[in-house]
Amino acid sequence: MAESEAVKQHLHELERKSIALLREAKAQFKSIACLWSTGKDSTATMWLCKRAFFGKIPFPVIHIDTGYKFPEIYEFRDKIAKEWGLNLVIAKNEEALDQGMSPKKGRLDCCTLLKTEALKNLLQKEKYDALILAIRRDEHGIRAKERYYSPRDEQFRWNYADQAAELWDLYVKPSEDFSHMRIHPILHWTELNVWQYVQQENLPINSLYFAKDGKRYRSLGCMPCTVPIPSEANTIEKIVQELETSRTPERAGRSQDKEKAYMMQKLRSLGYM
Amino acid sequence: MIILALDALDLDLVKKFESKTLMQNEYGQTDISDFNLERTVVLWASFLTGRNMEARIPLKTQWEFKLPTEETFLHFSKTFKAIDFPAFSFKQNHAEERKFLKNYFDEKSAIEEYETAVWKIHEENKTEFLASIGNYNLVMGYFNLADAIGHLSFGVVNKMKDVYNTLEELAKETKNSDDFTLVISDHGMKAIGRYGDHTKNGFYSANRELGLNLPKITDFYNTIRSLQNAT
Repeated sequence: MAESEAVKQHLHELERKSIALLREAKAQFKSIACLWSTGKDSTATMWLCKRAFFGKIPFPVIHIDTGYKFPEIYEFRDKIAKEWGLNLVIAKNEEALDQGMSPKKGRLDCCTLLKTEALKNLLQKEKYDALILAIRRDEHGIRAKERYYSPRDEQFRWNYADQAAELWDLYVKPSEDFSHMRIHPILHWTELNVWQYVQQENLPINSLYFAKDGKRYRSLGCMPCTVPIPSEANTIEKIVQELETSRTPERAGRSQDKEKAYMMQKLRSLGYM
Repeated sequence: MIILALDALDLDLVKKFESKTLMQNEYGQTDISDFNLERTVVLWASFLTGRNMEARIPLKTQWEFKLPTEETFLHFSKTFKAIDFPAFSFKQNHAEERKFLKNYFDEKSAIEEYETAVWKIHEENKTEFLASIGNYNLVMGYFNLADAIGHLSFGVVNKMKDVYNTLEELAKETKNSDDFTLVISDHGMKAIGRYGDHTKNGFYSANRELGLNLPKITDFYNTIRSLQNAT
């Protein structure tokens, strides 16, 4: 089998599983919504939702607006929401923003208030019982422990040590003990798979991903906390090529990951580890 | 005499969270800029002996390092109890804590597992410490809550507030004692994003005026000795 045919076949298998999962979730939960950051993963997931439900996404699409995102993110969001006819819901913690919350006041507090609390408030108001999220196992070690169906309590806590086995593609909704369920339809995809899929399906993609003056964003977050990586990849083809040879972690441009690496090194030097 | 040894207690956070009991009558920062690295065992060993112990304590075996009583100010106390003190009576269960810390960075375990181990040790030491007060001439309790939680969550305000409130409550339990009480840390802490890194300034406070001005951690040896002689 030619390499391109093998890739196509593999993407088909990934897509088939994701679509089955989305349909299963839609049937099992009363009030479902999909999170959309406008990044490549969540945009590909939205496309899968369109595929799964015959061209129209039958539930709200939530965008968490921290107020610190790149202008290109808002532009892309509004354009695609219009073109794809999305029922777009914005989650924004206006109160925290009014009180001056910003990354300068501590990145974690900022993320907690502007992302987590914003979503908590929306969930409380809209009573969604399931959220579709575009996380992947290869993104981060902790995400590798995730399941396709991942229950959360009211405080969004995840008990990773007590998760149901998901054998034979059976995804079971527990009868109690959860506030909402996280559904992860592209958990089994890799970053490369997503870009290959974007290329194959000719999906719209945020311009921040393409190299400009020798740099591009590989992962999109808030402006103050995301830095570009050195890259000459200014087309999807070149991004795919770049990823096939890259050994740099996807989230290398995120501040929190750099801080973690520094701290690990420092604690080693102090003899803690 | 009571010595409350609080690893990584930082003056800025003591003030921020208004931990008045921890401040006592006199409080301030200590200067540990003479040390190349702010190593916990080295700093506490230096506190106990009044000498810079950096060259004597190898990094690899530091957690097992133990000073003989004769080299420390404890030698001058008729009876003493040193609870979980680094370089003297440090407990083995910290190894489990460090294992979870490593696992966290290796992404093999969640932060909660590490924190559970840290809080467990704190509670055990607290019980032992409070039960010892009044029964010895000198009671010295070591608590690493601010350091251990701070390393992974110094930038998380609510978590640090919990830690400082807990330490403040612990200090309150000793407040009614007539004994000289010294609260001391080995180093301070600063935020690196959500994480916490050691600084070159520790914290001290005393329930009587000592008239100190940016003392070194080794300076307390003579102060404690003279107070022991006086009692």
